[in-house]
Amino acid sequence: MGRERDGAVLLTFARRGEEEAIREALRHLRSELPGRQVAAVGTLVSAPVLRELGAEEVIVYGGGAGARAVVRELRGRAPAAVGIVYGGPGFSGHLKLELVALASAAGRIYQFLEDTRARRVGRGRLLASVCGKLARVPLCLAVGAAACGTALCWLRLRQLMAGGKRAGRA
Amino acid sequence: MKATLVITNHNGRELLGKSVPAALEAARRAGGHPVVVADDASTDDSAAFVRGTYPEARVLELPKGGFGAACNAAVAEAETEAAVLLNNDVVVAPDFLESLLTALARPDVFAVGCKFVNPDGSLTDALGNRTSGRWEGGLLYIHHETRAEELTEMCPQLYANGGGMALRREKWAALGGFDPLYRPLYWEDVDLGYRAWGRGWRVLYEPASVVVHDQGSTMRRLHRPAGIELMSAKNAILFAWKNLLEPRLFRRVALAQARWAADDVLIGGLPNRTAALWRALRQLREAGRGRAEEQRERERSDEEILALAAGDA
Repeated sequence: MGRERDGAVLLTFARRGEEEAIREALRHLRSELPGRQVAAVGTLVSAPVLRELGAEEVIVYGGGAGARAVVRELRGRAPAAVGIVYGGPGFSGHLKLELVALASAAGRIYQFLEDTRARRVGRGRLLASVCGKLARVPLCLAVGAAACGTALCWLRLRQLMAGGKRAGRA
Repeated sequence: MKATLVITNHNGRELLGKSVPAALEAARRAGGHPVVVADDASTDDSAAFVRGTYPEARVLELPKGGFGAACNAAVAEAETEAAVLLNNDVVVAPDFLESLLTALARPDVFAVGCKFVNPDGSLTDALGNRTSGRWEGGLLYIHHETRAEELTEMCPQLYANGGGMALRREKWAALGGFDPLYRPLYWEDVDLGYRAWGRGWRVLYEPASVVVHDQGSTMRRLHRPAGIELMSAKNAILFAWKNLLEPRLFRRVALAQARWAADDVLIGGLPNRTAALWRALRQLREAGRGRAEEQRERERSDEEILALAAGDA
């Protein structure tokens, strides 16, 4: 018989402007798991603010505690639910949070998307989303290298053509 | 030395009720210096409020151009040897001006930055107290001193924060003021300080010149919103493209930035580097022009600049 799952953990980048979304997500997790502890993962900077917003405990990320340490901590807790707060549109981030959610061994995973209500997502669906994002990596790398390479060669050329007081350095 | 105190403002009427009278009092105590509110197309009646409440302050109503453009216009209009730039949420100490202008009087000094404190007297963590920098992975990383015991004497710094700094107008004009490359805001003051050091001048930090920057509620300690992160990341890239002239360091920019596109998908979050990179690419020609000018005018290497600004040389 497996150990009993307890509490919930909120994953967020805690950007300014996301206060209401964080508060709402904490409220939702609390209503899903009445009477159980709701913690959040935050940095040294955001930890006091997350506490003010309603997180009963903050698992601090950074300042010596890397992503692996956070995952270990979460796996040890085996939370009943994990929630991910997403930022504004056009930001592909959150892959890191999604990976942490998948690795956390949580019973349920919720996504708190902008302007939408909480959405429960299955592990398979989240895994598919993560795999899709990972598949984009080589393409992004190739396009990024081509664009940056061209831009930086052009900048270097402009510099060489400019001459100048210390042109010998170039 | 006479200085024009320039308070830049955009829709900050509430803030001006504290910052303008404090600046007027400091200017009066220091022997009389003009105070100008550079209003960046406010729609909240800021200009009328200042005119009606503080007639001794001049109001310069400007078309919407962002922080840098407002500062450039106000400094260009000033008729004094020096100018002091102040944010609208910065409240100066009554005696902040004397020490600032004394430090600025040294002939090789371009700018002097104030000491930024919270209302309770502790150091702020958001504004530039004794700034320094290091090139790492294709970007300049900025460090602000946060230990009060390290900030007891005047010292060099990389740049003076545009929210509270004094500058020599002649040198400002030679540098062309804040570069519009960084519009609407962020990194223009870093760029200005870096270029000033590059020209052979100095930028100082004067802890005796105290200004209060109320960072507001605890909520403001949160990470910055994604849109602001993106703007700041775009300008950090443009800063490197324009200013990093040493070939050895510049090669690292190429490697690092090519990797970002992949990092963005892998790591994500703060900030979105791919989006910042694409936005910077739209300003590539502008950055190229700035780079060519830096190449022509620079008298110190990138490493010399950072070493001198850190007080290591």
